[in-house]
Amino acid sequence: MRDIYLLIRPRVLGFRNQLIRSESRKRPIILGCLGIVFCGGMFFLSSRVLLHFQSVQVIGDLLAHQLLSMILLSFFSLLIFSHIITALSNLYFSKDLELCHSTPVLLEEIFVSRVVHTFLDSSWMLILFGLPIFMAYAFVYRPGPYFYLLVLHMNLAMAIIAAGIGILVTMLLVYIFPGHRTRDLIILLTVMMAIALYMMFRFLRPERLVNPDAFFSVAQYLSALKMPQSPYLPTHWIAESLWASLTAVGGKGHSFEVMLTWTTAGAIMVINVWVAHGVYFMGYSKSREAKKRRLGGKKILDMFVRCVTRPLGDDLGAIVSKDIRTFFRDNSQWSQLLLLVALVVVYLYNFTVLPLDKSPVRLDFLQNELAFLNMGLAGFVLAAVCARFVFTAVSAEGEAYWIVRSSPLRIRRYLWAKYLLYLFPMLLLAEVLIIVTDYLLDVTCFMMILSSCTMFLMVFAIVALGIGCGAIYPNFRYQNIAQVSTGFGGVLYMIISSIFIGIVIVLEAGPVYIVFMSKMLGNTLTLLEWILIIVAFLGVLVINIVAIFKPMEMGLRALCEYE
Amino acid sequence: MIKLINLTKIYKGLCAVNRINLEIKKGTVFGFLGPNGAGKTTTIKMMAGVLAPSSGQIIIDGMDLAKDTSAVKQRVGFIPDSPFLYEKLTGVEFLHFIAGLYRLGRGQSLRHRISELLELFDLNNWAEELIEGYSHGMKQRLVMCAALLQEPKVIIVDEPMVGLDPRAARLVKIIFRDQAHKGTTIFMSTHSLDVAEEVCDEIAIIQSGEIIARGTSEVLRRQAGVDGNLENIFLKLTEGKRGEDERYLSSH
Repeated sequence: MRDIYLLIRPRVLGFRNQLIRSESRKRPIILGCLGIVFCGGMFFLSSRVLLHFQSVQVIGDLLAHQLLSMILLSFFSLLIFSHIITALSNLYFSKDLELCHSTPVLLEEIFVSRVVHTFLDSSWMLILFGLPIFMAYAFVYRPGPYFYLLVLHMNLAMAIIAAGIGILVTMLLVYIFPGHRTRDLIILLTVMMAIALYMMFRFLRPERLVNPDAFFSVAQYLSALKMPQSPYLPTHWIAESLWASLTAVGGKGHSFEVMLTWTTAGAIMVINVWVAHGVYFMGYSKSREAKKRRLGGKKILDMFVRCVTRPLGDDLGAIVSKDIRTFFRDNSQWSQLLLLVALVVVYLYNFTVLPLDKSPVRLDFLQNELAFLNMGLAGFVLAAVCARFVFTAVSAEGEAYWIVRSSPLRIRRYLWAKYLLYLFPMLLLAEVLIIVTDYLLDVTCFMMILSSCTMFLMVFAIVALGIGCGAIYPNFRYQNIAQVSTGFGGVLYMIISSIFIGIVIVLEAGPVYIVFMSKMLGNTLTLLEWILIIVAFLGVLVINIVAIFKPMEMGLRALCEYE
Repeated sequence: MIKLINLTKIYKGLCAVNRINLEIKKGTVFGFLGPNGAGKTTTIKMMAGVLAPSSGQIIIDGMDLAKDTSAVKQRVGFIPDSPFLYEKLTGVEFLHFIAGLYRLGRGQSLRHRISELLELFDLNNWAEELIEGYSHGMKQRLVMCAALLQEPKVIIVDEPMVGLDPRAARLVKIIFRDQAHKGTTIFMSTHSLDVAEEVCDEIAIIQSGEIIARGTSEVLRRQAGVDGNLENIFLKLTEGKRGEDERYLSSH
C-alpha cells in the first residue's frame, strides 16, 4: 500500500508544483471561469428541459426518468472509451514506466497506481458534464439530502466500473495483438466502436420520444417510454436508485441496486488486479518492441504527394509532403477522419428528419431562417474540426520542431504553408456542409448564394485563427496530439472562433431580414436600406480580413520568440 | 568563420551564458567542454538559431545570424544531442524533406548524394524503413547524414558520440577530420575528453556560462599547470567541482 502511495505521489507533487510555480496566474482563472460558465449553461438548459417535461401531464415524469437513464448510459459508454485510450498511455507508453518497472515494487502495485492515474485522467469530465445535470434534477424535484449523497457515491461507483471495463479491455487487447503497432490498432478499434455506437444512437431517433404523433397509439408511446434498459446494466441500477430518491418521500428505496453497484465495482477491480498479475507485464514488454514498417499504399501516397506539392516551392513542398505522409501513416490521426465523416453524416441526417411541415411559421420563411442559422452551426462544426486538425498543425511537429527552427526556411513561409495545406480540405468540407443542408431545406436561390459565399469567406478566417492560435500556444511535448486541442489554447481558439462566427451572423442578419421582408411585402428597397446592406456586408469583409491576417501575425511573432 | 561577440543568454533571471567571445578559423575542429549545466547546449542552440540570445552577436561566414538568418542557416549543419525526428517518415523521405528545406533541388544528383551518405553511415539497408523503428544510434547517424547533405561550411554538434557504437564513433571522428581538412569548421560540444583530445584542433572550457580557458591541448596544459591528459587539465581548471569529488572520495 505504501508503494502505491509512493508511485502516485510524483503526480500529486507535480500538480502541486505546477499550481504553485505557474508563471501565468491568468490561465487557471480563465479556465475556471469558463468551467463555471459551462456548468451554469448546462444547469440552465437541463432545468428548462425538465421543467418543460413536468408541464406535460401523465408522461412528464416518464420522460424525465427516461432522460436520466439515457444520460447515465451515455456517460458510462463515454467513460469506458475514455479509459481505454488513457489506459494505453498510462499502463504501456508513459515515459516513467521503465523506471517504475526497474524498481523492486510489486507488479500489482505498479498496476494499481496506474489505474488511479487512468481513473483521474478519464473521470473528471463526469464532474464537468454530469454534476450540473444532476443538480438540475435536484432543482426541479427537490429531493432530500440522501439524493446528493447518492449522486456522489453512485457516480463514483459507475466511474470505477467503467474504469475496470476499459482497463480490462485494454490489457487483453495489448496481450492478444502482436507487439508492434498495438497502440495504433487499439486506437483504430476504439474509434470505430465509438462511431458505430454514435451512429446507432442517432439513427434510433431518440427525439421521437418527445413527439407522441410519431407513434400510432398512446399505448404504444407509453410502452416505448416505459421500456426498461437491460436490468444487468449498472446504469440501470444507478438510474433506478437515483430516481427512487428523487421521487419517493425520504428516498430510502432501492438499496439492493446500491449494493449491486458497489459490489460490481469492487469485483471488477479485484478481477483487474487478478488479470494484471497474469498478463500486464507480458503486454507491457510487447508494447516496447520496435515497430516494423508496413509498405501498403506507398505508391498511391507518393503519387498524391507529388500532385499536391508540384505547384509549391521546394521548401513549402517539403513541409506539405511531410505533413501528408505523417498524417496518413499515423492511425491515431487518420482514423479521426472516420469520426469526422460520422459527424457530417449525422449532421446532414438531422436536416432530413426536421419536421418543418408541422411548424406554425410560414414554410418558406422558416426554411430560409433555418438556412441562415445553419451558417452559424456549420461554422461551429468547422471550428470544432479545425480545433482538432488545424490548431494542432504547428504542435504536430513535436520535438522534431528543432529541424524547422534550425533550417533556413522562414517561419512566415512555414506558417503559410501550414495554412495552405489545411485551407483547401476545409473549404471543401464547409461548402459540402452548407450546400447539401441548403438543398435539403429547399431554400431560395438568394439564401443558397449568400450562405455558400459567407461560408467560403469564413473558412479563410477560421483556418487562419486555427494556425495563428496554434502558433501562439504550441505544445511540442505532447503524448497524444488529440490532447493538444483540449488545452488552454484550444479552448481559447474555440471561443474566439465562436465569437467571430457570431459577429458575422449578426452583421448579416439585418440585411437578410430587410431583403426577405421586402420580398414578402412586394416592396422595393429604399436607398437607406441599400446603404445598410452595403455597410453590413463591407463589415463582414473587413472582419474576415482582420481575422485572417491578425492571428497569423501574432502566431508568427509568438513562434519566432518561442524557446 | 565563426565569431561570437558578447554572447549572453539569461533565463528567468539566471545567466546561462555570460558575455562569451570566441573567434574560430575556417577548417578548425573546435571542442567546447564544460561540466553539466555550464552553458554548452545553450550556446550551441543559439548558434544553430534555435534559441534567441538575450544580447550579443553570432557571426558565421561574415554574416550576422540575427540579420541574415536564412543565409546563415543555409551554411550551417546542426546535430543536436537528442535526435528527435519525424517518426512516420522513412530515412530517405526524411533526407528529401531536409533537402527541400535547404532548397537543394530534386534531381538525380540529390538522390545520388543521399544514397552516398546513407551508405557512408551504414544506413542503406534501413533507408526505406520508418524512422520509428530506428535505434537511438541509427537516428543519430541519420541526423548526421542530414547535416552533411547540404555540404555546410559550419557544422555545429552537441554531444556527437552519444548512442553511437565504437565503429560508428570511429567513423564520425574520421568524417569530422576529413570535413575540416576540406575547409568545414566544426564546433563540437562533448563530455568525452578522449574524443576532444583526439579530434579537436582547439578547445574551450566553459564554466558557469563563462569561458575559463581556451587553446590547444598544449596551451591548456600550460595554463592549468599540470601534466598528463585532458582529463587532468579539465579537472584542474574546473577545480571547485574536483574539490567536491575528492572530499566525497576521502569520506568513503
